[in-house]
Amino acid sequence: MEILLQLVYSGIALGMIYAVIAFGYQLTFQTSDTLNFGQGDALMLGAMVGLTLVNMGVNYWLMIPMVIVFGLLQGSLVERIGVRPAIKIKSEFGWIMSTIALGIIFKNVAENVWGRDDLKFPSPLPESPLKFLGANVLPMELLVVAGAVLMMLAVEFFNRKSIYGKAVVATFNDRDAAKLMGINTGLVITFSYALSSATAAFAGVLIAPLTLTGATMGAVLGLKAFAVAIIGGLTSGMGIIVGGIILGIAETTTGFYISTGYKDVPGLVLLLLVLAYKPAGLFGKTAIKKV
Amino acid sequence: MSIRFTNLAVAAAVLSIAGLAAAADTIKIGVDGPFTGGSSSMGVSMRDGVRLAVSEINAAGGVLGRKLEVVERDDQAEKGRGVQIAQEFINKEKVVAAVGYINTGVALASQRFFQEAKIPVMNNVATGSIITHQFDDQPENYIFRNAAHDSIQAPMIVEEAITRRGFKKVAILADSTNYGQLGREDLERALGLKGVKPVAVEKFNIKDVDMTAQLLKAKEAGAEAILTYGIGPELAQIANGMTKLGWKVPMIGSWTLSMANYIDNAGPGGEGARMPQTFIQEPTTPKRQSFIISYLKTFNHKNARIDSPVSAAQGYDSIYLLAAAITQAKSTEGPKIKAALENLQTPVTGVVTSYNKPFTAKDHEAITANIPVFGEVKGQRVVYAYPDDFKKASEVRVKDVNAKGAMAVKK
Repeated sequence: MEILLQLVYSGIALGMIYAVIAFGYQLTFQTSDTLNFGQGDALMLGAMVGLTLVNMGVNYWLMIPMVIVFGLLQGSLVERIGVRPAIKIKSEFGWIMSTIALGIIFKNVAENVWGRDDLKFPSPLPESPLKFLGANVLPMELLVVAGAVLMMLAVEFFNRKSIYGKAVVATFNDRDAAKLMGINTGLVITFSYALSSATAAFAGVLIAPLTLTGATMGAVLGLKAFAVAIIGGLTSGMGIIVGGIILGIAETTTGFYISTGYKDVPGLVLLLLVLAYKPAGLFGKTAIKKV
Repeated sequence: MSIRFTNLAVAAAVLSIAGLAAAADTIKIGVDGPFTGGSSSMGVSMRDGVRLAVSEINAAGGVLGRKLEVVERDDQAEKGRGVQIAQEFINKEKVVAAVGYINTGVALASQRFFQEAKIPVMNNVATGSIITHQFDDQPENYIFRNAAHDSIQAPMIVEEAITRRGFKKVAILADSTNYGQLGREDLERALGLKGVKPVAVEKFNIKDVDMTAQLLKAKEAGAEAILTYGIGPELAQIANGMTKLGWKVPMIGSWTLSMANYIDNAGPGGEGARMPQTFIQEPTTPKRQSFIISYLKTFNHKNARIDSPVSAAQGYDSIYLLAAAITQAKSTEGPKIKAALENLQTPVTGVVTSYNKPFTAKDHEAITANIPVFGEVKGQRVVYAYPDDFKKASEVRVKDVNAKGAMAVKK
């Protein structure tokens, strides 16, 4: 029992790491039907900028808002350069290539600035584990879970309650009608990209003390997060959390009960099943697209 | 940042010297290794060792009256890149010989091109047992090595864990690359020779961030020690995972436990890990002292610690071995250099050992089981695990083909 509990804890912690990244995919999808495939690299840039600030002597907690501002700027840049031209000409696929390209560029820049070695991100919390209901957790893992949930609640609250959030939702529902209602949809889309990179950057500094920090950290995590976004549903914040936890626990329990060589398989099988039977994701709303 | 810039300045200086020398008729040597990514602490230290040896040899007048010129390429630890680089070295750069290869998988994929082109390759870091036996079925073999291969390391690890420290139950954790899986086979075989069966054999991927499942399996099986085959960052995640589970057993593994990115990323949790080492950064002989001093002077390193002392020393020695062979062959033709390597007349005093007839036509391994010692991570650097080894370190251990401990290489 204790083993299972430990596996579940680690699975949740791992799943939340995936979920905070996946959340960024959801943000942009909600407004513009596009995804930032450079999400993993936005995460990496956030972590690297955060590490640089911490090494310069900035306190971890003070560094977080600075990194979020950096993320906002980086996200708007991606939207301006990569996504807006594609949306303008109503290209179905242009944004895919351009966000991937920008992601690669960011990675290469990071490799040149910070090198390609994996670096240690100093943990703001003690690194000794806590005993909780008979199994161990790291304080940092609790912080990731808390940070992820808070961040998602904040964004959901913003979308549902504030007038600006309603503009975001309206833009997703019908971009042209929203425009006719006087919503500056271009700005809303830019904002959603800025917000998505900001969450990625925040996620980066949140998870960096647990994973290692380096220019290549975004690649694998970004891909896993993509699977989470598909499983949970790209239109549901709740789905992202649940999808992340499912994938995380699937990885750790398969690793223990079946074989560590196959730990990535069940998650991907689940991904295939979801795509086959419920393409909008476990929690997604099925949208009928009239062509 | 300042460290990086001085490094760049040194690199620029070395390159510009190489560039000037290129004007004359130079002897080109290809250097291939991962200078970026998870294996980079090995690759960069190896490259710097090579640069140091080349600048010393050139300052002393070069080889056959010609300067050595190194052509450096970053294979990023990827097989595809390694293959491209091999072809570039052979067809475009027309190198006389190649040194390097950190990653066993890259070496196995790339060296066939040199074999076909009859150009000698000196593997100075990669340890996969079959590297020098890949072309055993061909009449001539152009692949040499001056690193301790896994058939030496695996029995050493097992000897340390089972015999010397008396552990009865051990778990193996190995990564899913060629290196990790070939090493795991060697470990299982070496354990089998002692009649021990590992209680758990687990796998992990490069870039994995969570090792809970692997460690819990080892813990549940009652492992008293963990034997590892992987590279720095993931090894650090194993040490960090043990801290998290509040379960600490000794880690004993292949020489990669000495990598700087293991030591730095594992922090206090990584202390006490033990691994076979051909060279430990201690000035135990005049040659080693001068090597350490000039290395640290040329390439600034934080805390005066070489990132991967083994790679640096073996990289350095590989160039001296090649230079001696070219001098003896009085030629830069591949077959003649190969013949000279197989019958080297003058002993070469290296950092790792003194090479006295290091190779024969049948034996392309310069390092035998009696040469490596056990290192231990202590105070964020690698030191001698046993004081006795340290005391006797000034007596250079030389190659002994009859040394006990190595397993026969299975092909």
